[in-house]
Amino acid sequence: MANLYRMSLNKNNILIFFLIFFSGVSFSQEEIITIQDSTKTKILGDVIITATRTMRQLSSLPLPVQLISKKEISNVNSMRLNDILNEQTGLITVPDFGGGEGIQLQGLDSQYTLILVDGVPLIGRSAGTLDISRITVGNIKQIEIVKGASSSLYGSEALGGVINIITETPKHGLNGNIHSRVGSFDTYDSNLNIGYRKQKLAMNAFVNSFISGGYDLNDNDALNTVEPFKNYTFNSKLTYDFTNKTNLFLSGRYYAQNQDYIASEDLKGDSNINEWNAHLKLSHMYSDKWSSYFEFYTTRYKADEYLNNPDNSRFSESNFNQLLLRPEMRATFSPTDKSAFIGGLGWNHETLVRTDFSSQPEFNSPYAYLQHDTNPTEKLNLILGARFDSHSEYESQFSPKAAIRYELTEKLAVKGSVGYGFKAPDFRQLYFDFSNSTVGYTVLGYNAVISKINELEAQGQIANSVVPLSDFDDELKPENSVSINIGADYNPTSNLKLSINAFRNNIDDLIDTRVIANKTNGQNVFSYYNVHKVYTQGLEFNSTLKLSNQLKISGGYQLLFAKDKEAESAFKNGDIYARLTPSSPSFKLKKEDYFGLYNRSRHMANFKVFYEFPQWNLDANIRGTYRSKYGLFDTNGNNYLDAYDDFVEGYSVWDIAINKTIYKNYQLGFGIDNLFGFTDTQNISNISGRIIYGKLNIQF
Amino acid sequence: MNFFKNHEHKMNNSNSVSKTIKFLTLALLFIGFTSCSNDNDDTPLLEVESQTISNLQATQSADYTTTPPTIIGDYIKFSFETGSTTTGNDWDIAFRGSTIIVNGGEATAQDQPARTSSTGAYIATGTLASITTVDNSLLKSDSSTNGLAIPTGSGNGWYNYDPTNHIISPIPGKIIVVKTNSGKYAKLEILSYYENSTPNDDLSNSQFYTFNYVYQPNEGVTTF
Repeated sequence: MANLYRMSLNKNNILIFFLIFFSGVSFSQEEIITIQDSTKTKILGDVIITATRTMRQLSSLPLPVQLISKKEISNVNSMRLNDILNEQTGLITVPDFGGGEGIQLQGLDSQYTLILVDGVPLIGRSAGTLDISRITVGNIKQIEIVKGASSSLYGSEALGGVINIITETPKHGLNGNIHSRVGSFDTYDSNLNIGYRKQKLAMNAFVNSFISGGYDLNDNDALNTVEPFKNYTFNSKLTYDFTNKTNLFLSGRYYAQNQDYIASEDLKGDSNINEWNAHLKLSHMYSDKWSSYFEFYTTRYKADEYLNNPDNSRFSESNFNQLLLRPEMRATFSPTDKSAFIGGLGWNHETLVRTDFSSQPEFNSPYAYLQHDTNPTEKLNLILGARFDSHSEYESQFSPKAAIRYELTEKLAVKGSVGYGFKAPDFRQLYFDFSNSTVGYTVLGYNAVISKINELEAQGQIANSVVPLSDFDDELKPENSVSINIGADYNPTSNLKLSINAFRNNIDDLIDTRVIANKTNGQNVFSYYNVHKVYTQGLEFNSTLKLSNQLKISGGYQLLFAKDKEAESAFKNGDIYARLTPSSPSFKLKKEDYFGLYNRSRHMANFKVFYEFPQWNLDANIRGTYRSKYGLFDTNGNNYLDAYDDFVEGYSVWDIAINKTIYKNYQLGFGIDNLFGFTDTQNISNISGRIIYGKLNIQF
Repeated sequence: MNFFKNHEHKMNNSNSVSKTIKFLTLALLFIGFTSCSNDNDDTPLLEVESQTISNLQATQSADYTTTPPTIIGDYIKFSFETGSTTTGNDWDIAFRGSTIIVNGGEATAQDQPARTSSTGAYIATGTLASITTVDNSLLKSDSSTNGLAIPTGSGNGWYNYDPTNHIISPIPGKIIVVKTNSGKYAKLEILSYYENSTPNDDLSNSQFYTFNYVYQPNEGVTTF
């Protein structure tokens, strides 16, 4: 892969790169060249692949990107991906009713952010959310976050952005580490990592075990907030360089989780997740200008759960079994060192077997993409790209994107990007066939509506139709968005970095459920519709100040407005009313009373101080995150979140960590997450309270 | 004339201020109107009536042994003229569970009482105070083809149903305007579907209506 770096790191970029990262040294040309030769690994550590699918250095990209280094992850002693992402500006994990945690990015829900591991996607969004607590950070080299629609390269789901987890590659020789963290709530996180590299061959094996006793925020019922669980991750990688121009990459990952599933005092069972993926990549460099890649990726995600009655007879069972197969070919062409093309052709094949489905659906979607990354002048970088996704079950999508960065001075650069993003309707929105056995309502996927309504009608269960069946003749449209990001990077001095980014995501055809018929039992039949138009817009600000080699302070802030356009005009037209108490008379609401979408905070901020005591081989840090008030649901009956609703109060969480290295290879750590023991037992299920832990890491 | 002293205002809520202002306006208009007329004319307009009805029980239950389940329960009939429930044919609207029917048009199911007048209704958006005139063109009677004048189902008529906590809550800003069985007009705002306006834990105290209404007892007057 080494040849890749050369391709996109042109001389100009390398220069800027060194100016920023080695600003402590003087700027003579000779010295820069020496550094370049001696610190190749350091260069690699600060490039990012997710934004362009080619190696690009972080600081020169025209897109809003964030990079989380291995060092930061190990300094803060994170265990799972949600731990570390929660501390980043503009990111917050939101608990799902199914128990998982999804990421909210630029105010967009978790189903609109694509999660990749080494460039290939994770699947298993049974209710839309991809539970990122599934992912251990024990073998991560870096986490790359690209904000703004990126469907031009990645297709579906990359509507709000992309998070790519890059796993560790082994160093020379035989080496590895053992890691263990033990903490409150009977939490045990253990890793074993073994790597080997000699000449052409590199191998790596990683095992993680994560055990939690769960926790309970509400003692009044038989249920725990989070039931005890344990999970295991196995990951192994192999790379082989046939020649210095032909390389093979093989990776396999297996994840298994078992959790108690308690629905009530009487109904108890188990819930199991099994996931594996296999990733093969063959790269070949034909010349300095041409390279090609053949990639094959396949992954399966299975979730099964059951509940038993007290007499051990089966009460209910549900399962979810999704498979993705993806062959992809891509080629890069760099006619000059100022210009790079990347193009790809691929095929997504997806199947799902699931309880409560009308059929066993299959998706087939061939796609093609092309991107041109060019520096017409030394100060100007342009990226133009587009992707076409054809699909068997919904409208085909064309996703263009353009990005530009211009260096006004050596200290100040402005950048902007516009892109189209989409999220394909998921299997549930198309094929669900579910009738609630106790209440009696029915939910039908869009493609299941016509046949199922006729069936219900024949059984005499339909009282009257609310919408005509002809509404379901056309295909359901993918949710889509146009996203705009405009920002600037400003480095006024060598130790201060500032960046600002304004964003707007215009999302169309959001899919929601709507009543399509009334049933004779007084309940409704729901189906999925392209109904809403929403937008999220705001401002993100990041700053890092290195006061000395020992002290680094960083702060971030996001301002967010996330609103439904129809709701906004309904408030403006004075159509929305509210009550002060549940049974008091209504009064008219004003335009400014509309708060916006649920679960969005107007303000989110973080503040971190990292300090190193080299004389003691010790590093310490304190980190705080804040989110302002937000609403979880409408509490005053008008179906909108307005100023008179009940809100979840704003809160901050503070963490501290101290790590000491002894005898070079041993590292001891201690820390307290959620120092002040913040909880909100009513509203926030994913904050367990104060966590005290100890850590031991042994390198060999 | 002792109009102001006699006026009794039964609404005990934040709306009463605007209510009073409206009454004052009405009263001034009335005075203006009557002062121009012959002093011997002794047919003054009747006072507009404002009332609160609390905990009107309208129980329905479902028999799930049949397919589809059978809904059982009497429609509780209400007359605006008397301000109380009735068992006769002089009803204007009737309640059962979350369903409200009007005494006009035709039955939409066999277990409904027969319609005996040309009562109609529609749902207006506003506060009880802000709906001051009746738009006759919007009035509808129940119809076996077009459904009930006050549609059922969450978000369609007067209430929202929350599928997570199963609470039925009156949609703020929905005012039901009624042309009564004797051709007069009324408007009402449903405030609660639960006894004493507070749903209990298992929601067993549902199907108790509390509503405010304003009744215009004068023939042909379409303002409140």
